Amino acid sequence: MSALEVSRLTKAFGSRKAVDQVSFAVPEGAFLSIFGPNGAGKTTLLRVLATLSRPTSGSAQLLGIDIKEAADKARTHIGLISHSPMLYPDLTAEENLLFVARLYGLADAQGRVGEMLDAVELKHRRHDTVRTFSRGMTQRLSIARALIHDPAVVFLDEPYSGLDPHAVEIFDGLIDVVRQDRTFIMVSHDLRKGFDMCSHALMLAKGRVVAFDEKASIDFAGFSQLYAQTVGMGVA
Amino acid sequence: MHHYLTLLKKDLTQEFRTKEMLTSMGIYALLVLVVFGAALAQTASGFDILQMSGGLLWVLIVFTSLLGLNRSFAHEKENGCLEGVLLIPLDRSVIFLAKATSNLLFLFAVEVVTVPLFYFFFLTTTTPAASFWMIVAPLIVGTVGIAGIGTLLSTITINTRGRDVMLAVLFIPLVYPLLYACVSATTAAIIGSEGFMDVFAPALLLAGGYDIIMVLLSWVLYDFVISA
Repeated sequence: MSALEVSRLTKAFGSRKAVDQVSFAVPEGAFLSIFGPNGAGKTTLLRVLATLSRPTSGSAQLLGIDIKEAADKARTHIGLISHSPMLYPDLTAEENLLFVARLYGLADAQGRVGEMLDAVELKHRRHDTVRTFSRGMTQRLSIARALIHDPAVVFLDEPYSGLDPHAVEIFDGLIDVVRQDRTFIMVSHDLRKGFDMCSHALMLAKGRVVAFDEKASIDFAGFSQLYAQTVGMGVA
Repeated sequence: MHHYLTLLKKDLTQEFRTKEMLTSMGIYALLVLVVFGAALAQTASGFDILQMSGGLLWVLIVFTSLLGLNRSFAHEKENGCLEGVLLIPLDRSVIFLAKATSNLLFLFAVEVVTVPLFYFFFLTTTTPAASFWMIVAPLIVGTVGIAGIGTLLSTITINTRGRDVMLAVLFIPLVYPLLYACVSATTAAIIGSEGFMDVFAPALLLAGGYDIIMVLLSWVLYDFVISA
């Protein structure tokens, strides 16, 4: 079964189509990197697929679930890591994770929070408010937040934005650990890094798909040349 | 129910830790009282403060509420927290109920301090009627309406430019019938003239009816508003 199957998906704001007739499918366990210049519609596409925004037309199935018709059912399988950590700065690390775990209705919320704090090496700071955390620590906690309900599909929206090289290293290590059996959909500006991580690559320009394939079938030099051409294509 | 309690607990924990809303609303209310005091300092001795006190009290409550409501979603906006909540499979109307409840509790907390202060500033030189205690009823009914309508409107305005002004522009016309009824009921209770129940009871009923309609409407519309 496809982890994600998107068919003629369109998202319009008034007369402007930010995502225009996008179609693609990725299998379970895939890592899809989505590239494109500013304004290409990458984040809009990600937001629609993550059920944060309703599509104007077209359809998308996440693990066979229609995200438009059964958004809540799809949400149980979705995790999102973004450059916004989605953490309350005045709550402690533990309170933030407990809040999310309880909203997801996890049976042993306290136990799961402990596990996740261990996984992101923040157990020693569990009683500290997020406001006192460095950017890297906040991003690690946001990974724990996104994965606390063990989602099958994880969306990454420019997750490296604002991270220093050391934090990037830690982040990559964490992604490697949690990658098994999960599908990742990542929006990135960093062509080299995004390409290295992916199993599938998709390029958007003006809201439309200009390239999509498995990495094994893509020549990086040609792909980066195509990317350079899309930069001049303007905003969707 | 556990979603509601979890969301409410989060709001209360956050507020009791930062005291951001309570402090700002409390200080603002105190300053409004000082301004009222200055504005009324030169009134003639024949001026009847009792006639005006219901209106003044509600001016204080409405302006203080606006300040608090504007801040109620500030934490949700910061760090994309609201989106984090929207990613979780839960009934959107529960988010409304929890946020409206926390706003209501914070408004009540501020009123518990400001209403006695209002009495101390303006009503100690005169004699309010024995029915003064009955202002509790319009205060409760009015605050419930303000919290419900205000929560919906602060969600609508959270992503707008100049959201402080936008909230006031939408809020004041929408709460006007409620405000009118609450001022009537409050003034009637403070003056307590013969047959004051003829004004008090219908005004309170009008406010209560308006509350039920508007809070239910806000609850029903919330899914659409927050998803948009």
